[in-house]
Amino acid sequence: MKERTIGIFYDGVSSVPQEIELIFDKEKKGFAFKTANNKLHFWKLNDIVFGKKGSVLNLEHGEEILQNIKVKNIDFISSVNVFRKKNGYIDWYQRLIDLGLKSHVILAVFILIFIVLGYIFVIPWVAEKSVVLIPEDYDNKLGDTFYEQNMTFSSIDSSKTKALNLFAKELKLNNTKKLKFTVVNSSEVNAFALPDGNIVVFTGIIDSMTGYDELVGLIGHEASHVNNRHSMKMLCRNLSGYLFVSTVLGDANGVMAVLGDNVNMIQSLSFSREFERQADLDGFEIMTLNKINPEGMSTLFKRLQGEKNFSIPEFLSSHPVTTERIGYIDEMIKTKSFVFKENPRLKKLFKEIKY
Amino acid sequence: MDKPLQSSTTYELQFNGSGNAFFSVIVVNWLLTIVTLGFYYPWAKARKLQFLYGETSLNGDSFSFHGTGKEMFKGFIKAIFIFVLLYALLFLFLYLKIPFIGLLLFYLGFFAILPLAIHGSYRYRMSRTSWRGIRFGYRGDRKELITNFFKWIFFTIITFGIYGSWMSINLRNYLLGNVRFGDVEFNYDGDGADYFVLNLKGYFLTVFTLGIYSFWWQKDLFEYYVDNLSLNQDGKEITLTSTVTGGGFAGLAIVNLLIIVFTLGLGYAWVVTRSMKYIFENIKLEGNIDLDSIAQTEDNFKDATGEDISDFLDLDFVI
Repeated sequence: MKERTIGIFYDGVSSVPQEIELIFDKEKKGFAFKTANNKLHFWKLNDIVFGKKGSVLNLEHGEEILQNIKVKNIDFISSVNVFRKKNGYIDWYQRLIDLGLKSHVILAVFILIFIVLGYIFVIPWVAEKSVVLIPEDYDNKLGDTFYEQNMTFSSIDSSKTKALNLFAKELKLNNTKKLKFTVVNSSEVNAFALPDGNIVVFTGIIDSMTGYDELVGLIGHEASHVNNRHSMKMLCRNLSGYLFVSTVLGDANGVMAVLGDNVNMIQSLSFSREFERQADLDGFEIMTLNKINPEGMSTLFKRLQGEKNFSIPEFLSSHPVTTERIGYIDEMIKTKSFVFKENPRLKKLFKEIKY
Repeated sequence: MDKPLQSSTTYELQFNGSGNAFFSVIVVNWLLTIVTLGFYYPWAKARKLQFLYGETSLNGDSFSFHGTGKEMFKGFIKAIFIFVLLYALLFLFLYLKIPFIGLLLFYLGFFAILPLAIHGSYRYRMSRTSWRGIRFGYRGDRKELITNFFKWIFFTIITFGIYGSWMSINLRNYLLGNVRFGDVEFNYDGDGADYFVLNLKGYFLTVFTLGIYSFWWQKDLFEYYVDNLSLNQDGKEITLTSTVTGGGFAGLAIVNLLIIVFTLGLGYAWVVTRSMKYIFENIKLEGNIDLDSIAQTEDNFKDATGEDISDFLDLDFVI
């Protein structure tokens, strides 16, 4: 079976169009044509790159010498296409492209949903697992660097620092690594934990406290951040979230990447809320373990809620004291059983720290 | 050279791609990139370029991009290797406690890569682009480009950036001046001073008009880019003229923004195709070169390393 049409041939040497008679040979699976000097050419279907531009079919052949044939005959083109389809000459990529707009829109929506689900469920899981792979050594280095950079310009109260360390020594904090406390003179009502076990407490927050139980609550909370490697987890989540977003969307386009970045930020804020909750629960447990009245934590939070300048470096942990947090602590005070007794040693040390 | 010009003709440069078709290309790329955990990226890029070039036509015949994912993947690996080497060097010096020398070498290496990447990228892209089987080509000299590049960088630094305008125009003159399309030579005739004034005016008027003038600034830049470009073949010439307007750019940008916002980004394909259409519709080509008489002169060049480094560094291909 042979079909014929007139095509325009470009010989890859010049841009002169040459009119040729093109023969589609279905038995030999290729195209035959003669050029001006009566030279016979045969192109095998497998060696041709097919391109459809509007209603024109473009056949491209050769690597070093690029030759082209343009065909305009609609019947001829459809006959070639039918043959290629029937005999498996359409590759998988073309088949994916040929699925049509409707399927592609559905596919796009499906991919979007897949990404969102992956983002919400897979990323946190992967990050959590990958934290285990990062040596604790790295936590220490990260914390050290931050501590050195930030403490150089802060005024450390050495006697209060000493007292706070003694205070913490009296407590069981469930810690796996050595915790080191520092009291910094600042009116900021603030405290934060670094991944290497450095916990920094500002005098502003201590001054606002009325009893040592509140300080135990704060220490328990911060110790939990260190014990659970929250900083590193946060870093891993942010990083893997960012990598995920940029891998998937980075190629698609810039706008999507920007949207992705914002989603990432919102997501990391909710991660941090989750970490705060865990630290609160652990802090509560530490208080009962040490026979301290857990009401102290609730009292502290209620007072902090009233404070306006309660801010903390974003990437370490953001501690907005919300009604929700106070709510679940009060709930635990009501429902859990605990015993507490006055601890004169802590009381004495607290006085030293405060004044 | 005082031969009377042969009767001048116009040429038709068009972008024919539909948003629907481009959307299909993007979605399939997206799917394959995810399934392969990102490894499809070079192939995806090749598909995208093949589509965009293939849908652009000159006098009814389309351009072709012959670059393949495999070539770009190889280039990608080489590019990664170069960056790893650079960082290894930096860390070696940090380890040896001489960070200053490490950083100096790192930045020098980084700057040295730039012209190399531009050179490689031009050679690759041009030689892999064809029209009627006639290849484009870039014949710039690597050494010359590197020497000039460092000279211009130096001037830019000592003039606190003012020379930057001259640098970009010199670079454009050099790069585009060395582009060929078979035996047709490209020529770019820009002037740093004009470019500087144009940007100065654009900047201040944009600030004074709270950003509104930016579209007219964009129009001026585009015009400067297109109008100074010409093609030559044995004393014959094709000149390019831009007919874009600031209002046109403004309309284009506003509608594009709306499409992106209301489709949550999925309308990106249509944004690209309508922008391309607008741009190509507004470039007028006129001259006396016979497009049926272009001879093949350029070789294949399949090393995509420069192309991939440029991609890493987010260098815009056309400078």
